[in-house]
Amino acid sequence: MANLKDLKTRINSVKSTQKITSAMKMVAAAKLRRAQESAEANRPYSSRMQQVISGLASKASKATAPALLVGRETVKTHLLIVVSADKGLCGGFNGSIARQTRLEIKRLEEEGKSVLLYMVGKKAADNLGREITDKIFERVENLQGSNLDYNKVDTVSHKILTGFSDTSFDHVSIIYNQFVNAITQNVVVTPLIPVQINEDQEDTGASNYEYEPDENELLEQLLPRNVTTQIYSALLESFAAELAARMTAMDNATRNAGDMIDSLTLVYNRTRQANITKELIEIISGAEAL
Amino acid sequence: MADVIKIELVTPSEMLFSDSAEMVVIPGSEGVFGVLPRHAATLANLQRGTLNVYNNGAITRRFLIDGGVADVLPERVIILAERAVDLDAVSTQHLDEQLVNATEAEAAFVNAVKEAV
Repeated sequence: MANLKDLKTRINSVKSTQKITSAMKMVAAAKLRRAQESAEANRPYSSRMQQVISGLASKASKATAPALLVGRETVKTHLLIVVSADKGLCGGFNGSIARQTRLEIKRLEEEGKSVLLYMVGKKAADNLGREITDKIFERVENLQGSNLDYNKVDTVSHKILTGFSDTSFDHVSIIYNQFVNAITQNVVVTPLIPVQINEDQEDTGASNYEYEPDENELLEQLLPRNVTTQIYSALLESFAAELAARMTAMDNATRNAGDMIDSLTLVYNRTRQANITKELIEIISGAEAL
Repeated sequence: MADVIKIELVTPSEMLFSDSAEMVVIPGSEGVFGVLPRHAATLANLQRGTLNVYNNGAITRRFLIDGGVADVLPERVIILAERAVDLDAVSTQHLDEQLVNATEAEAAFVNAVKEAV
């Protein structure tokens, strides 16, 4: 049986781990509130934008509409934007993103498409490691929380739009964790280019839009803006989801540490009692021998 | 009661206005235009300017928007603006604070807001 001093050290070390995890949980919870607010505040904008664009896309004719809206005829290369966290210790958050990315790559390659990756955040890239070194189109880190603003996302989407227009890739989708609530995050894969057409779109009955100025000029401005908006909203969602995942993971860790401390304390006390009993027996049998 | 049209003014950070009104006047890039109920379906590019909401023949709410796009349907208007400010609720002090670390484009907008107030 372990001696008392070892047990004491062990208990103390678990206790300090528990302090760290519970502090991390508090920090994540505090940050989550803000992140959740900004993610939710952005939702009306991105969903309205999506609504407008998909309305346009459903009416546009394949032949004349810009490729950003209806896509290219032959799709050879897919670009996947993979949004993960820069930091770990958030449960299955990064793992599930990496797993989904792997599946997506496999699926596309089986279809005979080649895949490029735009990695946002450090962890998924680390996780996928060498499997993807030849597929990386670009990597960015530190694009979350207070570092995340619309202008920075604009640079990202600019890069993507340039890549699209010089045919580095013909299809763009984004993989990210969608924030549902504090205990649920969903990994979703959303197509960005071409635009996803919503089947249950309200039928407006207004098939002939008037455009002001003309259609092309308008779309030229609107479509890039839509890409930025969708990426921005995915990043906001992902950050809120990351904090929620961290909060849950750290809550579990704190509880596990508590359980561990309890059982270690039990062992500690038993050992202490056994030692006392042993000493008593020694004294008594010593006295009897006299 | 007069016919009303549903209006939504949305920016990336918030839903600024969502209500029905008799008319809304929008600063289109080709000129200011008013939207009444049963307006023809229009998609219009916007420029910086004031967006006025009318009820009972008078302006009830004023916003300054910094470009964007308006999706007009007979029964509703959605205005997507990258930046927008409620001119009746804004304080000059708050604007000055924003000016301190604003980019050039933001500063131009904030100055326009100041003028409009």
